[in-house]
Amino acid sequence: MSLRVRPTRPLAPIAVAAGVLGIWWLVAHYGGAGWVQALGDLAFGAICVGIVGPGVVLARAKVTMVTAPTDGIAGKPLEIHVDASTRLRARPVEPGGEEAFIGPVGGRRPPDGRITLRPEHRGVCGAVTLDIASAAPFALQWWTRRIVLPLPATVHIAPRRGRPDSLALRHHEDAGEAADWVQSDVGQPRGARPYRSGDSRRQVHWRATAHAGELMVRELERPSAEPVTFTVRLPRDPDEAERAAERALGTVVRLLDGGASVVLATTEASGPVVAGVADRRSAGRRLARAVAQPAGPGRPVPGPGRPAGQAHTR
Amino acid sequence: MRTTLEAFRRANRPGPPEHSVRLRVACLGSVLVAMDAAAAMGQVSHSLAYVAMGLATLGMVFSYATRTRPPGWVKGLVAVAAIAVSVWFVHAVSAPALAISSVEDPLTVLLVSVLVVHSFHVPSRRDLLFSLAASAGLMAVSGAQAIDLDFGLYVVAWAFFSLWGLLEMWTSASGGRRIPVARVGSALAAVLTATAAIFLVLPAPTVAARVSLLAEAGIGGRVGVPGALAGDAGSPSQLARAGSPDGATRIGGYLGFANTLDTALRGSLSHSLVMYVRTERPSYWVGETFSTWNGESWSAPGTSHELREQSPFVLPVPEGDVPVGQSDLQTFYLVGSTADLVFHAESASEVWFPKSELFVSDDGTVVSPIGLGSGAIYSVNSVVSSPTPTQLRDASGGPLAPGVEKASLELPLPYARVHALAESITAGDTTNYDRVESLIAWIGAHTRYSTDIPPLRPGQDTVDQFLFGNRVGFCEQISTSLAVMLRSLGIPAREAVGYVPGSYNPVTDLYEVRADDAHAWVQVWFPGYGWQSFDPTAVVPLANPAPGAAALGDVGAALQRVPLLPTAAVVLTAALAAALVRWRRTRPRTWTERIARSAERAGRRAGRPRQPSETLVHYADVLDALVGRGSAPWGRLATSVEASAYGGHEPPPDSQRQMVGEARRLRRRRPRR
Repeated sequence: MSLRVRPTRPLAPIAVAAGVLGIWWLVAHYGGAGWVQALGDLAFGAICVGIVGPGVVLARAKVTMVTAPTDGIAGKPLEIHVDASTRLRARPVEPGGEEAFIGPVGGRRPPDGRITLRPEHRGVCGAVTLDIASAAPFALQWWTRRIVLPLPATVHIAPRRGRPDSLALRHHEDAGEAADWVQSDVGQPRGARPYRSGDSRRQVHWRATAHAGELMVRELERPSAEPVTFTVRLPRDPDEAERAAERALGTVVRLLDGGASVVLATTEASGPVVAGVADRRSAGRRLARAVAQPAGPGRPVPGPGRPAGQAHTR
Repeated sequence: MRTTLEAFRRANRPGPPEHSVRLRVACLGSVLVAMDAAAAMGQVSHSLAYVAMGLATLGMVFSYATRTRPPGWVKGLVAVAAIAVSVWFVHAVSAPALAISSVEDPLTVLLVSVLVVHSFHVPSRRDLLFSLAASAGLMAVSGAQAIDLDFGLYVVAWAFFSLWGLLEMWTSASGGRRIPVARVGSALAAVLTATAAIFLVLPAPTVAARVSLLAEAGIGGRVGVPGALAGDAGSPSQLARAGSPDGATRIGGYLGFANTLDTALRGSLSHSLVMYVRTERPSYWVGETFSTWNGESWSAPGTSHELREQSPFVLPVPEGDVPVGQSDLQTFYLVGSTADLVFHAESASEVWFPKSELFVSDDGTVVSPIGLGSGAIYSVNSVVSSPTPTQLRDASGGPLAPGVEKASLELPLPYARVHALAESITAGDTTNYDRVESLIAWIGAHTRYSTDIPPLRPGQDTVDQFLFGNRVGFCEQISTSLAVMLRSLGIPAREAVGYVPGSYNPVTDLYEVRADDAHAWVQVWFPGYGWQSFDPTAVVPLANPAPGAAALGDVGAALQRVPLLPTAAVVLTAALAAALVRWRRTRPRTWTERIARSAERAGRRAGRPRQPSETLVHYADVLDALVGRGSAPWGRLATSVEASAYGGHEPPPDSQRQMVGEARRLRRRRPRR
């Protein structure tokens, strides 16, 4: 799908060209010199082609998607490959990315087609919006055209891995007495241990620190055989939702790294989804698809600053 | 203020270094061509141009070597030099008597200097674009001096380098390697089309209100008898004399630019170029007029006055003339030896001439004191009155101006037969203008033009022979007959000689006057409007044609000379061959291709063309849905095609033919509405 072709800041070059050529024409016209006018016609013709030509080139240009990955991470580069019928400058708009020239290079070299996207937010991406531009044939005036290229497959943009939340692990009512408790980053307090890099500031046990003379943190434990169900409720504010998803991913990854099996409960466009996540990739995909929980009676929506998720054992 | 400063800084921010060698070579080429053109047009000396070309080349090499880190002192030095040259230019052109010629030379030097100085600091693409623009300015200044098509060679060379440079700019800007041939062709075609369109639309350049292009070149020797007519190419000081029927003894063979005009014979005129004329409107270029007729030849008044002053010479109003009308400026560029007459349109009022003396006779003939040859340039401001036929009809019957009666009504003989003929032709006319027109119409209907006639015998009257003899003659005899008939009716008339406007060159915007454009015509006096020209021999266009119209006219004339049938046969054969080649390249070669082609044609017919991403099977499903048949015939065919193409299941030839036939039948079915 393509949108209208338009010149980029056309007034300045057109005004300069018109001014210069107007003066030229006046000199030729009132000076009575035929060659001056003929030269002016030639220069004016070249400038007209230089100003209008890119629009024609752009209107006829064809850009097709060749390859694209299926997963990405917000803020991290993501390369796609396109094929262009002519030399073009491509600037990714949605998702954003780096400007690049695509199309045939000339000679025997293979054509350029790599575009680096840099999505800023998580989400599901079915198409790439590009601003393609050309100044062919004389590089005097740029024209741009916005195109939307469908991706071969949906790309899941996972959120960045944020700082994991310290979540209170609460027992499910059905959990029995015989639950086997193991050391974990989240769960019930078990004791205290020396601080390790990466430990949350909130886990510092000040009393034990004072007693031991070194920084001590709480040691937590959770029932080993039970999966951790991690419920993510995203706020409506997109920025807040982004940060919440980042924290949620950080927490889930930490849980996974700790050996826990995690069941992620999210709300997607199609409705609530509760399913296990095996690795970071699947967690990222789930969080990429997650949307804010629709507001309604009996469904509290977490406000800003409230925890993005809540973990509990079953 | 701050915003302006920021915009200024932004505009002057150095661009990224330009690494393309080809782009620099192209820009340098356009600069060198422009400098050479300036030297060829005499704007700068050849030695100065060669030094400048060497320095510009050196500067471009230096710029390329220092493009990534241009030394700061170079930029300062370039700025100082540019300011110095600009100050010199302002000083050079601030002379009190400013003329175009006094600006063009300093402007050329300014542009050449700027190009040389700037070539030492062209690190970025934008700087190279400035070099291209400056070279265009230099070409324009040189083009202002060009009067012939030879300058076109420089234009072609400059356009080649400039277009190459512009194409390289995009190649460099887009990170490309080489310019594809297709892009060169399309860009060239687009530029030429746009240029031709603009050329056809724009009106012709107007002549400047005041132009002083005096040239010392082409000035011949002093004429033996000041104020007398001379002009033989071989001996410019030789007094004019009658020519001989055996050969051309005058400029281009014309015998009229002399003290007398012998109407009994005419030399064979050459086609050599005599002069270019820059003018806003075409006109007869009057050389001299003759008032005294003796039955065989015309003679000029012979009395002339010397004018001694600096240009412009302000000429006295000729006898009987009325200095009312439009001012028309012409510049004459002589390219061959010519008579020492100063040609002009109608009544000359001012003359810019490269000498301090001129001779002017009572009838307005202007004579140079020196022989004029190739390279001489002079300008004349004329007063051209263009009355309408109605105005001329109303002007008939007024009193004659002093001096007109004696000079323009006398006849050496009674011319009874001529008078009777003129009376019979103009019997129904009530005004002088209508009488003139009736006589011209009669001459056009009853006489024939030819230069291939034997010279008249001595003593034989030209008019009698022409009107009552074979009625075949050349322009001097035709115009003389009209003048004598008019005089016999009491209408003041005289003979004028000079050149017709010549052919208009739409590129140079100049009229090219050749030796065989020499002509004779009649001037008739009307009260209130003075002498008005009438040409019984030829019709002269009255309006300056637009360059585009003239070019189209030339193209049309050239096309008319093209043999129609052979050309049409060649074009038709080429078109058929191209169609055949295209058909052979695009025709389906296998049965699967034929079925696919039939499916695509059926889809197009149904308004649903095949998408590039659609497989044949998917497209066949769409077609079946459009056709609305339950058996899905397209789907079956597409499945067989895919099985053959990708599965290796080739059906027997009979089945293949059957399927192709079925596809054709399906193709012809009308889609469901």
